Amino acid sequence: MPALPTTPAPPPGADAIRARGLRRTFGDTVAVDGLDLDVPTGAVFGLLGPDGAGKSTLIRMLATVLAPTAGEATVFGHSVVTERDAVTPRIGYMSQRFSMYPDLSVAENMEFFATIRGVGRADRRTRARQLLEGMGLDEFTTRQAQFLSGGMKQKLMLATTLMHRPDLLLLDEPTTGVDPVSRREFWRILAGLHADGRTVLVATPYMDEAERCTHIAFLDGGRIRQHGTPDEIKAKVPGRLLEVTAADPRAAMAVVDGVAGVTSAHLLGDVVRVLWDGAGDPAPTLASALAAAGVRDVGVRPVAPDMETVFAYLADPSTRAADAEPEVAAS
Amino acid sequence: MSGKRIRLLIWKEFTQLRRDPLLIRLLLVMPVAQLILFGYVVAVDIRNLATAVVDLDRTVTSRKLEAAFSGSGYFTITQTPRTEDDLRPLLDRGTVKVALVIPEGTQDRLTRGETAPIGIIVDGSDSQISAVGSGYASQIVAQFNADRREASGVAIEAPGIDARVRVMFNPTLDPVNTMIPGLIAAIMMISLMVIMSQAVVKERESGTLEQMFVTPIKATEYLIGKLTPYAALATAQMLLVAAGGLFWFRVPFNGSVWVVLVGLTLFMFTCIGLGLLVSLVSRTRHQAQQAVMFIMIPTMVLSGFIFPIQSMPAIIQPLTNLIPLTFALQVLRGAFVKGSDFAALAVPMLALVGFGVVIFGASIVATRRRIAE
Repeated sequence: MPALPTTPAPPPGADAIRARGLRRTFGDTVAVDGLDLDVPTGAVFGLLGPDGAGKSTLIRMLATVLAPTAGEATVFGHSVVTERDAVTPRIGYMSQRFSMYPDLSVAENMEFFATIRGVGRADRRTRARQLLEGMGLDEFTTRQAQFLSGGMKQKLMLATTLMHRPDLLLLDEPTTGVDPVSRREFWRILAGLHADGRTVLVATPYMDEAERCTHIAFLDGGRIRQHGTPDEIKAKVPGRLLEVTAADPRAAMAVVDGVAGVTSAHLLGDVVRVLWDGAGDPAPTLASALAAAGVRDVGVRPVAPDMETVFAYLADPSTRAADAEPEVAAS
Repeated sequence: MSGKRIRLLIWKEFTQLRRDPLLIRLLLVMPVAQLILFGYVVAVDIRNLATAVVDLDRTVTSRKLEAAFSGSGYFTITQTPRTEDDLRPLLDRGTVKVALVIPEGTQDRLTRGETAPIGIIVDGSDSQISAVGSGYASQIVAQFNADRREASGVAIEAPGIDARVRVMFNPTLDPVNTMIPGLIAAIMMISLMVIMSQAVVKERESGTLEQMFVTPIKATEYLIGKLTPYAALATAQMLLVAAGGLFWFRVPFNGSVWVVLVGLTLFMFTCIGLGLLVSLVSRTRHQAQQAVMFIMIPTMVLSGFIFPIQSMPAIIQPLTNLIPLTFALQVLRGAFVKGSDFAALAVPMLALVGFGVVIFGASIVATRRRIAE
């Protein structure tokens, strides 16, 4: 874990973010649709959801760069609309797109944004060195940002965002398009921030990242459909999860989908993830159904539910229709 | 308002400029290329107009008049058709740009003390040539009359064309003398609009504008930090053009430096405003480029920068009052060529104030609203 200098973190307990009836429309499109959200201080809060769910719009409103159409949101008790000046010094916002000056070097970008935020000269120097070393960017300080690799670009943005020691980090898909090694490293840095008592709100399309969060919310159609700790969310998926392997996984999926008791079947790589909510022991039932249909090399084994499956289940319109209402309001 | 943050922004802008070698070259090459283009090409073309002379009089006077034309350096007599009917094809084909017709009995009329009309036909397809060519011709004829009057002591009326007004302020009628002052204003407009709008749009394109919103920087600070470097660059370019004009093309400067500075400063606000407005309506740098073209073409055509306003159709002429450059040209040409003072240039100066207040004001309000949104 990189050695990040510590400052007194805000007292735990109070909510870092509180949103009520937050809404944002773009023309006729409703991006965020009357959303309630509470993020406790010190949480690593994962915002999950498909593309177009409203994750970016929500984060941009909380970062004060986009005005809500209706509703209200506070960050550390200050309104993101009327008290922007009280909010911005305490937050760090990392947009989905790379948003550093491409023709300025790593050091220049960090220096620029830190100076604008009023970080003192001596502080800037030591902090930049610590952050760059901690993220393995110290060899590239003089390189122009446009010539960095994808992972290094994201790390530069995070380092720049951390220069003024924000209490709340708003990260919009920070690891999209980043190689697995860099992603792991990135999350190690976030874990360090979490240990430091800082609050992180991170939007991500990667389900494995959701498991590293202390809290997660599943966003779809501009509303929060599910929220809780990862374990709570997993518990919301009814039934048992099984993994089916076969010589022809697609054929197997088609067969399994028709078996009574199966709630959903999804292809994940070359295995079929089956959600069973029926009576009896699912493994032999499925095995015999597949054998009867002539699918060869069949293997069926129960597995522990993971976020990937939960996400697939929650995002599936057919299962969601039965499950989603009444709306789960974040409390 | 924090001077530190503004200085930081200016430093950042210059650092970025330094990293863009193409832009720097463009900034230097553009004024120089335009100086050559508008200074040399225009000047050389007008100097040797291909001219046809139809001499139906065939007298000493008519030959003297011919000699006055060819000796002026502006006209080169390339054709001497026998009749007026032969002129038309020559003008049609563009073989000659100007034709001089000296009717039979010109010398007799002049000796009798009558007005002797002569015909000067100018190729109207090129308004530059028609305006300047007829100006030269009138001047030569007027000079010819004056010489005759002096020689004979007999009062002779000016034959048809009155040249006095046109030649009063610019005796050599050298187009460079009006072109270079105009170019100073045009360069400023192009430079500020193109480069500044590109710079602002670039910032939006790269997502850094949004990142800027999360910092405590104020809209006003951002604007000052963004505008100052480009105003400085445009000033440097103007100085380059002015120096080239004064020292290389030897354009006479008869006016007050203060008139020029005040006029240009007023015009600069309009240009910055237009650049900002372009950057507001453009999402990409490509769109910004197109928007600039959309403004520059009518500006160049209607301001009198290339084509004299007097040669435009009467219904078009009022439109030229909607173009800010029109008034900047009046101030600069007035100051350079005529040595006009503030009182004489009150109307264009006030027009520039008006454009500045409206365009610059609107752009600042709109940009602040966009940034604050």
